[in-house]
Amino acid sequence: MLLEVKNLNAGYGFLQILREVSLTVDRGEYVALVGPNGAGKSTTLRTIAGLLRPMSGEIRFKGEPIEGLAGNKVARQGIAYVSEAMNLFVNMTVQENLSMGAYTLRDKGLRKDRLEFVYALFPRLVERQNQLAGTMSGGERKMLAIGRGLMSDPELLLVDEPSFGLAPQLTESVFESLNALKKRGMTIMLVEQNVTKALAVTDRGYVLENGRIELEGRSRELACNDHVRKVFLGV
Amino acid sequence: MEKTTPSGNPLDRLLDLLCLTPLGISALILLALLPLIPPFNQEYLIRWLISAAFIAALSIAFDFTAGYIGIVNFGYCAIMGLGGYTSAILADRIGLTPWLGMLAGALAAAVLGFVIGIVTLRLRGIFAACLAWFFGLALMGLATKLMWLTRGPLGLRVDRLFASSSNVSFYYLILTMMVIIYVITRWTTRTKMGLAFKAIGQNMEAARTSGINPVFYRIVNFTLSCMLAGWLGGFYAHFYGILTPDVMATAKTVEVLAVAYIGGRGSLWGGAVIAFPFICAMELVRSSLSNLPGLNLVIYGLLLMAVMIYYPGGFAQFFDTYFRRTRSRLLGYLVNGGRNRPDAISDRQAAAIISNPIR
Amino acid sequence: MWKIEPDRLLRWLKSAAGISILTAVAAAAMATMDRGPHVLVNAVVMGGMLALVSMGLALVFGVMNIPMFAHGEYFMIGTLVAYYVFTPINTHISTHPDSMLSALGPLITIVAAMLVGAIAGVASEVLVFSQLRKRSRENWVMNSFLLTVGLSVVLINGHQLFFGADFKGIVRFWSGAPFSILDVFISRDRAMAFFLAVLVVLSFWLFISYTRTGRAIRAVSQDETGALMVGIGLNGILMLTMALSCALAAVAGASLLFMYPSYPSVGLEPLYMAWFVVIIAGLGNVLGAVVGAFIVSLLKVLTVEYIGSGWDFVVPSALIIVILVFKPSGLFGSEVRGILDK
Repeated sequence: MLLEVKNLNAGYGFLQILREVSLTVDRGEYVALVGPNGAGKSTTLRTIAGLLRPMSGEIRFKGEPIEGLAGNKVARQGIAYVSEAMNLFVNMTVQENLSMGAYTLRDKGLRKDRLEFVYALFPRLVERQNQLAGTMSGGERKMLAIGRGLMSDPELLLVDEPSFGLAPQLTESVFESLNALKKRGMTIMLVEQNVTKALAVTDRGYVLENGRIELEGRSRELACNDHVRKVFLGV
Repeated sequence: MEKTTPSGNPLDRLLDLLCLTPLGISALILLALLPLIPPFNQEYLIRWLISAAFIAALSIAFDFTAGYIGIVNFGYCAIMGLGGYTSAILADRIGLTPWLGMLAGALAAAVLGFVIGIVTLRLRGIFAACLAWFFGLALMGLATKLMWLTRGPLGLRVDRLFASSSNVSFYYLILTMMVIIYVITRWTTRTKMGLAFKAIGQNMEAARTSGINPVFYRIVNFTLSCMLAGWLGGFYAHFYGILTPDVMATAKTVEVLAVAYIGGRGSLWGGAVIAFPFICAMELVRSSLSNLPGLNLVIYGLLLMAVMIYYPGGFAQFFDTYFRRTRSRLLGYLVNGGRNRPDAISDRQAAAIISNPIR
Repeated sequence: MWKIEPDRLLRWLKSAAGISILTAVAAAAMATMDRGPHVLVNAVVMGGMLALVSMGLALVFGVMNIPMFAHGEYFMIGTLVAYYVFTPINTHISTHPDSMLSALGPLITIVAAMLVGAIAGVASEVLVFSQLRKRSRENWVMNSFLLTVGLSVVLINGHQLFFGADFKGIVRFWSGAPFSILDVFISRDRAMAFFLAVLVVLSFWLFISYTRTGRAIRAVSQDETGALMVGIGLNGILMLTMALSCALAAVAGASLLFMYPSYPSVGLEPLYMAWFVVIIAGLGNVLGAVVGAFIVSLLKVLTVEYIGSGWDFVVPSALIIVILVFKPSGLFGSEVRGILDK
């Protein structure tokens, strides 16, 4: 198991959002975490990424406990988190943003390799190299955010709402890039509101409702599940 | 905010009108009796009490802006000084009686407060504080340089308000002024206006979309708060009998600010309650350890820092948490008064108004 | 990258930054022709030092979101350290005029002040600001501001308590004949202070734009969460920022000891000036602070020259109030954006 989450409880202040969430992600898997608004999907990712301290529960990455570690330490373990808000460095150029992504890498050769890898994945970013991140379009920023996450040569990529605020065409191209990544053996965990889309591209899925995991299974089967169809697709 | 009718007891109704709790009125009576009780009947102790009451009154008026609309008026003592100079110059040049002079000082300060209110309208928190601060610095520079008017650092001499050598009458005057300021600010904040102030202080944009006009409320708040400062400045001038630009220094504002925040922001009474023991203790340290100059101010800075880190709500929050929620009926009556609810507007109420727009 | 594009140049000239810089240059030129070159020289020398102080102030606001009111106190610490380090060196020099120390002494003094300033900065971060950060980040800007007010009171009066309120000054750092530039005599101390300022500003700029750590500081100032996500340790960066900023102020204090003798509230004037600079340059804009420092110092010199000394608070603050009314975010917008003031 690459990532193991057991009985995780988390929230903000006195407000508990996650209740006893347990999930696993295996190496090379492409996993979706779907659910309605406010179910706690982003909270789950934020807690795994170390941006939110869990109230209780276990998070293991490559067998090592990482719960309660600060965000920068989690990043150093090999987990890259691409947040919904993207958190780009808006007054830095694309190139600088990417090189910040490789902050934890000391090896110059590896940094160069990663940069080439990201540019190959998102050729659009090559054209924008010297543009400030804050002046780019939403789709380009999303690509940059994923690219920055990939720069650290992570073993697990957590992606929060890749389609949020994007035109359908752009959403499609972001998903294509994620597919390409998966084909190269990257482990990805995806949070998505667009349930149909998410379950169509991933291998396995979890359904989160009111902070609890309600269902889990193969994505294809989940997509046909009556409960899922009723709640999310209105059928 | 539902109106709870105060109980029929006329004393309770009077207290409610004055916005005081039974404990508060007892404390005031005690303060009023203090100059008659030894050792407080000594002149130097009365001077301490006067400066404590003066700082207390200033901190109430300061908290009216800082604690409610969330803007630290960093030029506050300069505005106070403007009131003082206005009154002193009027008395000096045209022989206006200090009683009217103090009101003229209040008027001058109110005009300046109005201007600052308008100028800072578009600015948020720290920018507005800086702007008020620069106003203060400019005023202090003017007071230093307009020698023909203010005599600059040489000091402007004015007649004292009461000719007698005893300071007791000054003490009663400043105590009365303090109560009047408290009642005025409390009345204002008890109405819907107070709620609007808090809402603006918490989130100006949200308040605006809830139908609260920040322009109006911010200007009203600044004008009133500065007016009260100007009035107190008049007292200052005619109590000390000499005015130098130093009264406008930032350090003086810091003193008021420290008292107001240690007392508890947004409570109005917290600063006033803290001022008396605090100022007296500071004076005590200063006079008894005069071989260690600056020690009292070091303590006071450390205290401000400790409160900000460990207990940002200050004394008022401490009091509300541990005394107001008492089960004992007698104590409850003493600290809450007849209407049996803390009458400060809570932050939660202000938040509620933001999330439920008034239509 | 540095090609001049007429379009962009024109746009820049029409922006607030362009207009104000051009006006400042024009005013400086006219005053120089009118009253002689000492106006220009004074403005430049003072601007250099002011740049050091205000850069630190802008840095602390940009990265840590603290509106620092105690910044002048680190300037004061710089003067204090310089006094106590340089006085024994000076007595040594007066008995051995040819020793190495007469050349190196001032530099040792300034480096010592820089180190102590940095240590003071780290201490304030660890003992004061990180304590508040650990407890609550709610209403951070205002609360941290009040903390710095308390810190300032403590440091000023701590100085008085332990070192006394008297003036502790020196006559000069470097002996020798004054330089003459454009027929104006500048004492060696002033000239050296200016060169030092230029050196420090330049190396600071190189550090912040080209090194890995410098980039990390900028990253934190632009997006704290983003910085965490790429693996930047916040605590280290915040501590370093504080150390840098306080060291800058201390260097300014130490190298100006010949002008500002050390006494408890010596930091107030630089503090006011630095706040003027930071407000007109835009809070948290480090590069803008350098330009702003020269504008403010020019403003001050012109005020003294044409209106008289003592007016140098009134006129600049009045002008800054006007600027703030029309451009609340400062003349240069915000280059390094911190977490926004809520």
